Amino acid sequence: MSLLRNIAGGIRSLFRKEQAELELDEELRGFLEAATEEKMQRGMSREEAGRAVRLERGGLDATKEMVRDARWESFVDTLWRDLRFGVRTLRKSPGFTAVAVLTLALGIGANTAIFSYIDAWLIKPLPYPQADRLMVLQSHDKKSGWTGEYLTSTASFLDFQKQNASFEQTALWAGWAFNLTGDGLPALVDGARVSWNYFDVLDTKPLLGRTFSAEEDRSGSGHVAILAEGLWRSRYASDRKIIGRTITIEGEPYTVIGVMPGTFQFPLRGFANIWTPLALTDKERTDRGGSFLSAFGRLKPGITREQAEAESTTIFSRLEKQFPQTNTNLTLLVGSMAEAIARNEGAPEVLICFAIVGLILLIACANVANLMLVRAASRAKEFGVRGALGATRVRLVRQLLTESLLLFLAGGTAGVLLGFFGMHWLESKMPEHIRGYIVNYGHVDLDLTTLGFVLGIVVLCGVAFGMAPAFETSRLELNRTLKERSGQTLGGHRGTVLRSTFVATEITLAVVVLISATLLVKSFFISVHTSPGYSPANLMVAQLALPETKYAQESQKRNFSEDVLQRLRALPQAQAVGAASSVPFGGFGASVDIEAVGKPAPRPGESRNTTYAAVSNEYFSTMQIGLVEGRTFDSSDAQGNAPSAIINETLAREFWPNEDPIGRQLRYGDQHNVCTIVGVVRDIKMYYLRERSRRQMYVPLAQFPSATFGFVVRTTGSATAMATAIRDEIWDVDRGQAISSVEELENVMAIVNYGDQMVTQLMIFFGALAMFLSAIGIYGVMSSLVSQRTHEIGIRTALGASPWQVMRMVMRQGLNLALIGLSVGVLCALGAGRALASQLYQVAPNDPLTFLAVPVLFAVVTLAACYLPARRAARVDPLVALRYE
Amino acid sequence: MPDKSTDLVQGTLDMLILKTLALEPMHGYGVAVRIEQISKGVFRVNAGSLFVAFQRLKRAGWIRSEWKATENNRRAKYYVLTEQGRKKLSSETQEWERQVAAIARILEAS
Repeated sequence: MSLLRNIAGGIRSLFRKEQAELELDEELRGFLEAATEEKMQRGMSREEAGRAVRLERGGLDATKEMVRDARWESFVDTLWRDLRFGVRTLRKSPGFTAVAVLTLALGIGANTAIFSYIDAWLIKPLPYPQADRLMVLQSHDKKSGWTGEYLTSTASFLDFQKQNASFEQTALWAGWAFNLTGDGLPALVDGARVSWNYFDVLDTKPLLGRTFSAEEDRSGSGHVAILAEGLWRSRYASDRKIIGRTITIEGEPYTVIGVMPGTFQFPLRGFANIWTPLALTDKERTDRGGSFLSAFGRLKPGITREQAEAESTTIFSRLEKQFPQTNTNLTLLVGSMAEAIARNEGAPEVLICFAIVGLILLIACANVANLMLVRAASRAKEFGVRGALGATRVRLVRQLLTESLLLFLAGGTAGVLLGFFGMHWLESKMPEHIRGYIVNYGHVDLDLTTLGFVLGIVVLCGVAFGMAPAFETSRLELNRTLKERSGQTLGGHRGTVLRSTFVATEITLAVVVLISATLLVKSFFISVHTSPGYSPANLMVAQLALPETKYAQESQKRNFSEDVLQRLRALPQAQAVGAASSVPFGGFGASVDIEAVGKPAPRPGESRNTTYAAVSNEYFSTMQIGLVEGRTFDSSDAQGNAPSAIINETLAREFWPNEDPIGRQLRYGDQHNVCTIVGVVRDIKMYYLRERSRRQMYVPLAQFPSATFGFVVRTTGSATAMATAIRDEIWDVDRGQAISSVEELENVMAIVNYGDQMVTQLMIFFGALAMFLSAIGIYGVMSSLVSQRTHEIGIRTALGASPWQVMRMVMRQGLNLALIGLSVGVLCALGAGRALASQLYQVAPNDPLTFLAVPVLFAVVTLAACYLPARRAARVDPLVALRYE
Repeated sequence: MPDKSTDLVQGTLDMLILKTLALEPMHGYGVAVRIEQISKGVFRVNAGSLFVAFQRLKRAGWIRSEWKATENNRRAKYYVLTEQGRKKLSSETQEWERQVAAIARILEAS
């Protein structure tokens, strides 16, 4: 109540300021008059009485000041006056204001854009109700320390599901690609097979229809499907009667029971358009040795992650004793789903960018602080006069801080605009394929968190970096400032030291940014320019999976691939044609456990896992995978002949270190097939550009028919025409076969590599920005130093210093500053490099070339930035300089 | 006699003003003189403290002001205790007496 009245009273007097002032004046005059009269009645003269009253009661103006200061609105009033004055002074020096605002806008803009991603990916909750209770369950090998997002034993997980008391529910899922036929062209559609409670655990409701029931998840049933809104709209024309309709998946009828809204996302899977129930078979349910599933769950309210993990440890150590053969060292970790998704999305990369833009903001702020110092120094006289007229130091500091805040607010506003465009530009550049993996995709925006963050850094930096210039300027050395001549008032020695410190710090920061950026960029270029082991340019890839229902017999699969290969070979633009059960960067990766015949069996727990592919005879020549020794597959590896295999160099080196592998035998897979090695080929990259070399083996497609295919065609013509031609040829063999999009392998690799590429582009930009800003900083300080020393330089020249000597003196001063900054920067960068180590590829965290090149580059930039001021110094005319006296 | 008002316990001046105004509406100088007279010169109030206090009490709603003619026909701002101010004064007085009694007991005990 009284607070309200206080505010109301304050506002009233703000608006009736003159009236209030007049009243106060009249009242106080009356008061003092009465006191004086009383003294006069006691016999004092008017003068004596007035003096006595002033001493006893205080003077009129001092009292008024006291009363005014006691009101809160006087603070607002002063602020308002400071602001108006600030705007006026800033408008009077448009050059300074423009440079400062632009510098800040760049720094703050970069921070706004990057922070909006931190916000969307790491701060905002996942788009499910009470998402903090969602946990992923990850397999963990206690001995090797390996952790995987896949389960290693379905049966063990089902035991855990039954026995645990921590989770409300747990759900299982596996990414799947579905052959969808009917209602248009056959399509290979990404989706997932999920346990019936998948959507319930995520607590997401369908747009139409319902989600799965427990009965539909039983073995043998499960011919029901849920569609995503996108697929429903595009393929089924948003038909509301879709519920209950039958569609054809893998050649079998499925009843549509629901449609999920387009906003539903599950970034661990990526884009999904169809979901069907897992409907695990009894064999799958009891499989302790393997699994193709991933799991997550919703904790009961009040249960912590640690409690749940403690329970899973107990259950799994019990299973370890019960099933030592399969469960030794195996346990299940409970981890936050938000963190798992963040890891997937590249949280480390975003955080690196955030650190880098933080440093850039500091550089920008130091630049602006320096500009303010230079300007404040030239205003020393103004402040001297104000001080002499009675302004207190606090009052002057407040005025200067207000100006600094004004600058930062203007820079912040421009920065938010830049950042807004920046964040949307970044999001729009994201390839379609990546978007499904990004949590809150499309929700990167200027929300309150981001705006709050920007306002926070604006105020913090505005005060922190405004402080030094404010105190420096408001030091009231009246005698000195008023006595100094206008041309010479560019700050004392202390101002110079302060500015030099700022510039050296700037250089330090810029060196750290530039070295970190260079290390990352270098890694990227090495990873891109290292040959993947094949030649991805002009190579078209078409992938498909034959439905088991239609192609049950091996001969059917074999006939299909031979038909397609023959047709593709006949295409006029096709130079070479091959096929493999799985191709690099494709969707059908497979691996097997292998053993060398005649060598000791692997120790328990030792992994002999090997990437595996069945390939056609011309696959190696089409891909241009180099042959090291022996031969590639040919007609002698036909069906019915002795099984043969080709291995890569890594496998050869690991299994037969000092022997010739040709003619040796390998046993592999669940069937313990034995095959003879006929050739050794180069290592190739299968999933990532940065992957380390791993064991790879190939068997002839003729002997081991496959249901999954990647057809590769080396072409001379246009990619789009070729894609259509390839699809048509396959459909000529089977009209109902779904095919993935047919693309150049180079493009597919670029999409997978998109994240690294984006980070690299940002790093190049940030590195250049840091360098540019610090160069401006050096230039600014050197110019002001030269102006300050004009007089001194004039004397030197008059005494016979040559222009060259003067120039050298100025340049040396600049270089000294740079050297201090560089040495500290290199030391800091060594630490930064170590922090980046996990993100580097074939580049040492202390890469000598980078650590040499960046400082040299900086020295050159410093020299260039010093050149103009130095030349001006060299041209100082002693007569003019000394006439300033 | 040095100016004692700054040594007054925070809020004491407020109470003295309210007490003074409880007798009759008064202008600023009148309040100052009355406080000095009654306290036999122990408290001497300077203009700054007095008018800051007036401003505070007015915003709190315990007093209000009106311009009136003085005894020697000048215009002066008279301060009047409001109903709320009267209540405040009585509760403040009680609280004050309670504290004084407590402090006196402590001092006697030692």
